[in-house]
Amino acid sequence: MRSGRAWVGAAFGLALASAAVLVLIPLAVLIRTSWVEGRGHLADVVSSPGFGSAVVHSFELSTAATLLAVPVGVAIALALRDPGLPGRAFWRVAVLLPVLVPDFVLGYSWLMAYARAGLTSELFGFAWLQIQGPVGVSVIVAANAVPLVYLIITVGLATRAEPTTERAARTSGAGPATVLWTITLPLLAPAIATAAVLVFVLSMGTFAIPQVVGAPAGFATITTHIYADLALGSNPQGFVEAITLALLLIVITLIVVAPTEKVLGGRLRIGRAAARDTDWPTSGRITRVIVTTALGLYLMITSGLPLLALLSASITRAIGVPSTPDNWTTDNFLTVLTPRTGYALGRSLLLALAAASILIVLGSLAAALGRTPGGRSLSVLITLTLVLPGSTLAIGLLIGYGRWLADTVVIILIAYLAKLWALAHRPMSAAVDRLPPASLHAARVSGAGMPTALATVVVPLLRPALIAAWGLCFLTALHEVTMSSLLYGPGSETLAVVVLNSADLGNVGATAALSVLVTAIVVLPGAALWVLTRPHAPRLSTHRPRA
Amino acid sequence: MLLDSAPTGREPDRHSRVSTLLELRDLSLGYGSTQVLNSLNLTVGDGEIVALLGPSGSGKSTLLNAVAGFLPIHSGEILLAGRNIATPRKAEPPERRDIAFVFQDYGLWPHLTALDTVAYPLRRRGVRRGRARDQARDILDRLGIGALADRKPAQLSGGEQQRVGLARAMAREAAVYLFDEPTAHLDAPLRDLFLAELAARRRESGAAAIYATHDAAEALGLADRVALLIGGRVIQNGSPQQLYSEPVSVEAARLTGPASLLNGTQSRILVRPDWVRLGGDRTGVVVDVWFRGSYTDYVLRTSEGELLVRTAAPPAHERGEQVRWSLDRCWPLPNTEAACD
Repeated sequence: MRSGRAWVGAAFGLALASAAVLVLIPLAVLIRTSWVEGRGHLADVVSSPGFGSAVVHSFELSTAATLLAVPVGVAIALALRDPGLPGRAFWRVAVLLPVLVPDFVLGYSWLMAYARAGLTSELFGFAWLQIQGPVGVSVIVAANAVPLVYLIITVGLATRAEPTTERAARTSGAGPATVLWTITLPLLAPAIATAAVLVFVLSMGTFAIPQVVGAPAGFATITTHIYADLALGSNPQGFVEAITLALLLIVITLIVVAPTEKVLGGRLRIGRAAARDTDWPTSGRITRVIVTTALGLYLMITSGLPLLALLSASITRAIGVPSTPDNWTTDNFLTVLTPRTGYALGRSLLLALAAASILIVLGSLAAALGRTPGGRSLSVLITLTLVLPGSTLAIGLLIGYGRWLADTVVIILIAYLAKLWALAHRPMSAAVDRLPPASLHAARVSGAGMPTALATVVVPLLRPALIAAWGLCFLTALHEVTMSSLLYGPGSETLAVVVLNSADLGNVGATAALSVLVTAIVVLPGAALWVLTRPHAPRLSTHRPRA
Repeated sequence: MLLDSAPTGREPDRHSRVSTLLELRDLSLGYGSTQVLNSLNLTVGDGEIVALLGPSGSGKSTLLNAVAGFLPIHSGEILLAGRNIATPRKAEPPERRDIAFVFQDYGLWPHLTALDTVAYPLRRRGVRRGRARDQARDILDRLGIGALADRKPAQLSGGEQQRVGLARAMAREAAVYLFDEPTAHLDAPLRDLFLAELAARRRESGAAAIYATHDAAEALGLADRVALLIGGRVIQNGSPQQLYSEPVSVEAARLTGPASLLNGTQSRILVRPDWVRLGGDRTGVVVDVWFRGSYTDYVLRTSEGELLVRTAAPPAHERGEQVRWSLDRCWPLPNTEAACD
């Protein structure tokens, strides 16, 4: 089938070219530059003040965040199995709130809630003074990572530790606790391991929360150190230091991820959920009360109070002033609604739109090629970009394309495309796997050429996944601050960068107002997309039970 | 009890009254607004196999899940050995019911070998690890799969997996065994093997069981009694021969075997394919011939309707041929006093 092979060839060429431009060239350039420039200065760089402590802090942060987020995420996933839990549908959405809220907003709102002169100080008289140190930053990063753990474990529950395994154990004489220990947790081990690795490497590369929360108090990580090195001027040593740190980050990431990918390999593919939602066992009334209370408290502390505090700070006249109606004002919002903010918003929206639209094409392309031998290598490469530290990629792009594209939105767009490719690829890959295998052939054998077959059979079936992937990419691009903060120039700031700069300047009211704005802009379309894609999510629909 | 290889002398006597081991009284339950079981009544005697026969959606799995303790019941009660194990208010958890379960999709644990899977119920009973594994090995040997002891489910075929599931249930040494369409995912030869295995174990142990299936032949062949479940109710409960020869309705007739329904003077007449003989005073035209190997089916068009005739002989007639036939017996439906033609 000559035409078939031509299609595959063209698709492959396009995918390869994209991979080269987006990922391979920046990385290669980064490695080469560090070898050329950094070779002589390595000793200086490593012994410079702050380098060692930044590295140590990054490890501390990642380890602590993993040790916190994984047990909490597992516990929540297990708790939400109970089909009769009051408010279950609500909890399942509420747990995912940190996904919708940009992480710099989350970090800032925790400060508003718990730091000195924050909401708890106002309401209850106490504040968490260490929030701006390693403990605080770790807790916030962990809280931000819990939804990811929750999602991964939920997939594991649906595809491996599914209800029948539990029922079989119960009728073999095991009580609920024994089942958990001997059956459910062992079966969830691959999922837990994957979640732990992901949280660790993503925490390694996390930038916004340490920057907003930790940097003002002097707690630096590799990522904030890179930002400081590059943002504070054209010091060549700073540049070398940044490159070195960026390489270090990616080496750590690879060391942690590579063996996991090999061991777990395809075992955690997001396949069709085998279990029906109603097959899970129901808990007793006392357990339900405890679980519901715990969930409520958790969400209040990690999302509710912080967001409330953020809102309060945005409408309060000044910091330290009690948040009562006579102190409420719209001044903060008026201050930030400047043309500059408007342009930044417009830029962010355009970038996110462009990125999402291009990404679903790239993601579908990679998904379609997934079965071919070359396609598998491509999939691995794309998956690695998911955990590629944004800081590293940004520097690679700067060195590689900076001469032509520095300070433009294009370089920021390229950064988004490179980093988020996996976000489009994974859902599309899963959807392609779920396609009835004969559907394309059935169309061809009924007389449709390849383009017609794709358009009339494959695309409609993939439409829910396309919408979901588009939405996910759109949201994430809107949130993105790690790479944007390193790549922007005057005239190409994104809204996230504007918020970050405002936080750096210390203007609490304005920053709070901007954060509320950003959150609203992100949450509203996010919520709309959620509502639109809900009927298509297999996990959330109720099937008619078989009798 | 189950682990002794010699017959225990507890052979169920099918003709005398057996004591009731499991009783479902006025059982109702459903999901949300859908009612699946409606005031259902069923008893299982000591040592009896009751087949639960019904089409998909009739409530078979739901019934078994309720007896096992996976589902709460809305009204009614479940009694095991005279003791109340489930009411709408209070239900004993599955692990404390004297019940074992064989699942349709095997329900094996991906991370445990066959040996550890079968040893699992023994360990839960407090048997020490070494002894449990020895006993488990015995059970696997008796089912002919001792060589698979160290394999995990991913390395077992469907038939082997189902036998491991059966072995695990046997290790439970329960009073009642629940089978949820265990052969549904097995192809014909494996199904026969499984059923033969089951029958052999039953003869040894005399344990009681509810066996849910949509396959009439399976139900009739295996069971002491057959309960026909339609729309969440038991519409007929009797011996296999009763259900085959004297079904209470047209639907019951169709579910319990191949059925031809002829138009009689006052009601419809059920004719099973083995109740018709070729040759006689009535005529019909052959519409279809199906050679099935050990028997041949003819579909005849007659003045009273279409008729399926089964003969233990190779095909002797062709399509379009006119043949003669006569009835050995028949059964009017619904069952009235009207004589069967």
